[in-house]
Amino acid sequence: MNRHYPNGLAIELEGVGKKYRFFSLDNIHLKVPEGQIMGLIGPNGAGKSTTIRILMGLVHQDSGEVRVLGHQMPAEQVAAKWDIGFASEDMRLYESETLAWHMNFIQSIYLSWDAAYAQVLLKRFGLRAEQKIKGLSHGQRVKATLLLVLARRPKLLVLDEPTTGLDPVARHEILRELTGVMTDEGRTVLFSSHNTQDVEQISDRITFIDRGRIIDSMDKEMYLDRWRRLRIEVPFGIQLPALPGIIGVKQDGRLAIATSNAFDPDVANAYESTGARIQRIENMTLEEIFVANVEHSREEVEA
Amino acid sequence: MDGAFAISQSDKRPMYLQIMEQIKQRIAVGDWTEGQAIPSIRQLAVDLQVSVITVKRAYLELEREGIIVTQQGKGSHVASTPGLGARLREQELEQHLEQAARIAALLGLRPRQLEHRLREAGDRLAEKEII
Amino acid sequence: MRGSVVGHLILKDWRLQCLPILASVAAGALALAILQRGNETAFVVGSVWLFVALIVIGCMLPIFAIVNERKKQNLAFLMSLPISNMQYTTAKLVSTVGMFLAPWLTMVVATLLIVQIRGILPHGTIPITLILLMLPFVGFCFIAGTSLVGESEGWSTAATLVCNSSYGLVWYFIVKIPALTLTFKSPVAIWSPTALAIFGSELASVPLMLGLTFFLQSRKRDFV
Repeated sequence: MNRHYPNGLAIELEGVGKKYRFFSLDNIHLKVPEGQIMGLIGPNGAGKSTTIRILMGLVHQDSGEVRVLGHQMPAEQVAAKWDIGFASEDMRLYESETLAWHMNFIQSIYLSWDAAYAQVLLKRFGLRAEQKIKGLSHGQRVKATLLLVLARRPKLLVLDEPTTGLDPVARHEILRELTGVMTDEGRTVLFSSHNTQDVEQISDRITFIDRGRIIDSMDKEMYLDRWRRLRIEVPFGIQLPALPGIIGVKQDGRLAIATSNAFDPDVANAYESTGARIQRIENMTLEEIFVANVEHSREEVEA
Repeated sequence: MDGAFAISQSDKRPMYLQIMEQIKQRIAVGDWTEGQAIPSIRQLAVDLQVSVITVKRAYLELEREGIIVTQQGKGSHVASTPGLGARLREQELEQHLEQAARIAALLGLRPRQLEHRLREAGDRLAEKEII
Repeated sequence: MRGSVVGHLILKDWRLQCLPILASVAAGALALAILQRGNETAFVVGSVWLFVALIVIGCMLPIFAIVNERKKQNLAFLMSLPISNMQYTTAKLVSTVGMFLAPWLTMVVATLLIVQIRGILPHGTIPITLILLMLPFVGFCFIAGTSLVGESEGWSTAATLVCNSSYGLVWYFIVKIPALTLTFKSPVAIWSPTALAIFGSELASVPLMLGLTFFLQSRKRDFV
């Protein structure tokens, strides 16, 4: 694989901090290798949008280095933005104009506009170019905004909540286009989403943000593999010991559920040696991991 | 060809395992034969709308089991081991038989009863095929 | 290709605002049509309308062209384009000032032609006419600059209020300055030092305010 950027990273945030009155981003380290899809997840207000705006050069960080496609941000944001397609949930197109006007506008600025692909997307998304933006439903507007970004085939796609508020069909269409981007090894995607299912499905790497801090950032398969839920039958009189990698145990009578974020089969043996019986060891969905992780990290901070 | 591949959201098993299973089924059933080229990691990821890393993991595990071979720059293909399809079918049968034995034990069936039930199932299948 | 992104933004603004611009020019044309009738009533009515038209344009233009873009969340869309916030500021100021200059210059020239050249009033009134007509332009630059830097409808409204309440006062003081009014009857335009000083400071205030706008915009760390 060709490495076009320093360290082969399309996006690199090092020690980035930003302070607001009631919220601050703290020591953000984020690396997105070229050719991968990075999913950014976290609760509302965690700092996803702020992080994205910082890497787009729209907000100037208070500390730390930001490099996107090899360019320092925000100083070189103009150069970077030629190759970035950005869409965020709070972005709006001009209501009084048609989608066709917007398409022409973008096309007149960017050389990389692929008119044929734009027509394909119009059809796939079920949009009519002659329609004015104000006549479109929310879902159609989101698709219109994404069309404007996708048809340019940019090297980097930065999407803040691209599937939020979309019906399942529209979501499926968007995911299809996003994974389609991966046909080209040199293209990279970073997207934030509440929809853990989407993130779980298409991300190569996952970054977890909560309250302005990065909690986890790693390879998705490795990440999913570290988490397990153990269903344990605890005989009367037995106390379950605290074990490494177990971040929480919920017990109700004789049945307990232990959650692990660094699973090791030895843990199961350790439980059984106390007399407890492991009923089942289950993988967890990203949504279940999300909730457990946020609870756990907040407990840790408060401790 | 790839329309028959599907990742199920309701299936609780990790996606890479589902992919592995479906690839093995393809080979077991004979859709993909020994030595046949299979979609590249990237291509399958795009077709299934899953991350490249998931398909990569599936392919790595399959390679470890000797079922497929991936060559740098040349793509991937089913291992050329003769009788691979048959072997995988054997594996699947073994899995189902173990499963049956486990459930039979839970039901309290004795081995002879299990044998009988298996024979009945075989007869039913034969009848259906005649009709 | 790069420099012209700013050009594209300017053209985009002019295209989006062409209706308001045409409406404002029409309003000004109406005022001039009344003015040129020549009698005293027409003169008073026409000149008042002319000023009102210019003042209204000066208030509405920043709202349409600047405040709405932020309010309707179009700004994030624009900033996703390959431009810096200073380039956006440049495009915005050029396009907005351009949109004001169109009706304003037309009206100034037309007024001079109608009133002074056609002889409704002697040429001695030219200095004060120009000084008075400059006021809406100065006010407009103030409102536009504040709207751009202020980032909210509140700032724009405050600036508009300050301007509109000041016009009457300033006008009152200007027409009381002997150096300006004494030369009214003269058939030739006489630019007394006072007249030059006032007109000069009006002219100078425009680049000053625009420069201040640029400076304040460049200091922003959170642009969207």
